Amino acid sequence: MPDRQELKQRACAAIEAQRQQIVDIAKAVLSNPEPGFREQKTARLVTQKFQELGITPRQGLAITGVKGRVRGGAGLGPRVALLGELDSLIVNDHPHADPQTGAAHACGHHCQIGMMLGALIGLHTPEVLRHLSGEIVPFAVPAEEFIEVERRLQLRAERQVEFLGGKQELIRLGEFDDVDVAVMCHTASDMNEHKFAVGGTSNGHVVKYVQFTGLGAHAGAAPHRGINALNAASFAIQAMHANRETFQEEDIPRVHGIMTRGGEAVNAVPADVRLEWRVRSASPAAVARNSAVVDRCLKSGALAVGASVKITNIPGYLPMRNDQRLQDLFVDNAAQVVGKSSTLIIPARRNRGGSTDMGDLSQLLPVCHPYVAGAVGAGHSKDYLITDYQAAVVNPAKIMAMVVIDLLADGAAKGKEVIQEHRAALSKAAYLRLQRDLAQVVDYRGE
Amino acid sequence: MASREEIKQRAFAAIDSHADEIVGAAQTILANPEPGFREVKTSRLVAGKFAEWGIPFKAGLALTGVRGELVGGSAGPALALLGELDSLIVQEHPHADAQTGAAHACGHHCQIGMLLGAAVALMQPDVLPQLSGRIVLMAVPAEEYIEIEYRDSLRRAGKLEFLGGKPELVRLGEFDDVDLAMMMHTTSSKEEGQICISGTNNGTVAKKITFIGRGAHAGGSPHLGINALNAATLALTAIHYNRETFRDEDTIRVHPIITKGGEAVSAVPSDVRMETFVRGRTIDAIMDANRKVDRALRAGSLAVGAKVNIQTIPGYLPLKQDRVMNQVFEANAAALVGGSNVGHVSHRTGSTDMGDISHLMPSIHPYVGGATGLGHGANYVVEDYRLAVITAAKALAATAVDLLADGAAKASQVIAGHRPEMTRAEYLRFMRSLAKDQTFEAE
Repeated sequence: MPDRQELKQRACAAIEAQRQQIVDIAKAVLSNPEPGFREQKTARLVTQKFQELGITPRQGLAITGVKGRVRGGAGLGPRVALLGELDSLIVNDHPHADPQTGAAHACGHHCQIGMMLGALIGLHTPEVLRHLSGEIVPFAVPAEEFIEVERRLQLRAERQVEFLGGKQELIRLGEFDDVDVAVMCHTASDMNEHKFAVGGTSNGHVVKYVQFTGLGAHAGAAPHRGINALNAASFAIQAMHANRETFQEEDIPRVHGIMTRGGEAVNAVPADVRLEWRVRSASPAAVARNSAVVDRCLKSGALAVGASVKITNIPGYLPMRNDQRLQDLFVDNAAQVVGKSSTLIIPARRNRGGSTDMGDLSQLLPVCHPYVAGAVGAGHSKDYLITDYQAAVVNPAKIMAMVVIDLLADGAAKGKEVIQEHRAALSKAAYLRLQRDLAQVVDYRGE
Repeated sequence: MASREEIKQRAFAAIDSHADEIVGAAQTILANPEPGFREVKTSRLVAGKFAEWGIPFKAGLALTGVRGELVGGSAGPALALLGELDSLIVQEHPHADAQTGAAHACGHHCQIGMLLGAAVALMQPDVLPQLSGRIVLMAVPAEEYIEIEYRDSLRRAGKLEFLGGKPELVRLGEFDDVDLAMMMHTTSSKEEGQICISGTNNGTVAKKITFIGRGAHAGGSPHLGINALNAATLALTAIHYNRETFRDEDTIRVHPIITKGGEAVSAVPSDVRMETFVRGRTIDAIMDANRKVDRALRAGSLAVGAKVNIQTIPGYLPLKQDRVMNQVFEANAAALVGGSNVGHVSHRTGSTDMGDISHLMPSIHPYVGGATGLGHGANYVVEDYRLAVITAAKALAATAVDLLADGAAKASQVIAGHRPEMTRAEYLRFMRSLAKDQTFEAE
């Protein structure tokens, strides 16, 4: 029986042999960017690739998710999901933006699809797979970026989804009920000399869909008859800034948003102004505390001009918990692929400030969410480009395959240990209860 | 019986013969400026002149007011001639009191001069018996609505109820036996001519606001504080966000100041205070703007989770002038300075407590030139005392003659054609209904 090192070499050789195909998959996704819950073409591509490997996936999970299942040849054991996020952002001026929709892969998710398929190719090699216990669950998941809130609320109203993030919705649908461990890698442009980084945490958040309702009137002839909803919103935003001094650094507070509607015509007093807002913080308690401050600010904006405000609070993501044992496996294998000096361990308390629905999953299962190099430019900006596909796709494909081999070879001893030692922060039922409690609508009339 | 023209000539002659004395009184007041409810020297000067001239008077009305009375040859209506005793506070004014900063930067010293001039004219034995009714000579305190903190302390001590001189005199009943009222004010605006017939003025309410936050070390633990200064600045912003809803014709003026903005830069400000006026052309417009200002103040406090105490203090009502009285006055003004030197202004956006009087009885409040500089500014000085005091005194005296001669036919016509906006009881009820002291929690 080959040892794990031999299995890893076989998997990596298979990945290396398919290097061009894997990178091409990522680039095909790059050229066809689709925002969350709309990843039809991307999902089709994943399905096709699964089928080419002889895997018949389940499709249309949380609208666009594609989930495969590959049994190891060495008997039952843990079920390890390899996740890849299907969705793009919307960044109109990105060089790879879809000219119609403005969708663009300004966060490198296209590489995730490439590396997930790459790892699958490595593990699916018969002389590897037959030595693994348990199951490999390659899973292309929708809608990690929490954007297009108004559109997703429409999906919610149509009962196509309950939660607006892909993994949240998949948890609700039970699509992680048959998964024991989940791993993925995300590209990053702030790696300095490192090729691989793992550890740290991320912010939780709550999302707010805010509608200020004023009273329309001719802005020249009768402004005194109007109630300016844009003034209400502007005031509310200023009020948030005035509260920043009360936010505590250790909460890593991030309060930010956009105005999705700011008035219909310049000669009418704006009566319908909408915001999509986000309150991020390091803990659910801090999210709740800072969210209450923002709600107060939104109300004060309505009160300032006598408008009304409806705040739809939407459960966002939970902070990230990387499983220590999984993380150690990633570190060991990354060191083999990119070298020890290129592998960075991020302190557990270091919070990158952003949020991911992998955080939600991390409350339920042992997960790991490392970062890989290969990107340049500020994340979520027009400048975010993948310049090194070896680092961004091929290396993480190998590292993930190697981690899975560590988990599932030798009768899945390591995988079982990871599962046994892991303490879930929340049960699925507790998770759903927590998130559903956050989903509250505040109606306030300023008078 | 003498014609009105003859009576006026006798009156003018008396003014001319007392010209130096009258101008001297004005200049003495200029040199001894005293803000409202503190016009002790000025009040004594007026009382001294009345005593010297044998005019019966009462003093100490609303603290410093002096009220003399001339009784005509037969019964008739009572016409009040008003002069305002008080100065402003403008430290850098060339005639400012070195200690107090008080200065006559609004020309009220000339009003006392012209009041004395009209008094000396109308008291003449060949003038007064020709008139029917009474002439009430009122030197009134505290027209400028300033030193709110000080006046509020007088109010709390039970020495005043209202913070303006004329409202307080109305409360005290000093206008109960008055049927018509008039006064003149100086102006530095050349386009208003030598004498200016004026229309309406904004009314106002005053507000004292306290934002109550929570102190904390601004560096060490700002998250434990509630920043009252942020509440206040946001409230100012909220007020601005409402300006577009103020109608042009309402000439709303909201112009706050922050009188206390925090104790130490290293502490989160927990006690921030603001004063403002809310002025407008009509009572309804003032009430509408006042409601929006209150809402904006609450929004500022809600924004940061502070409390706000809003004290609303009755200010002055909008001024409405009697058309017929103004016609009488304008004819006299034209005779004195020439028709082409009589100007007209339809609305002014400042406020005067003559507005309150105008809600109770037919009133006029025309302007006289002679001043230069910006009203309430350090450069507002009276240069032409002949015009600002002597000519003005003649205009007042001549108008009094027109109103009260011939059995007070004209005054009776004015009174008959005038519908007061309010009775004294209604006025007091309304003013008291404006007074509010409310604290809002942020929720």
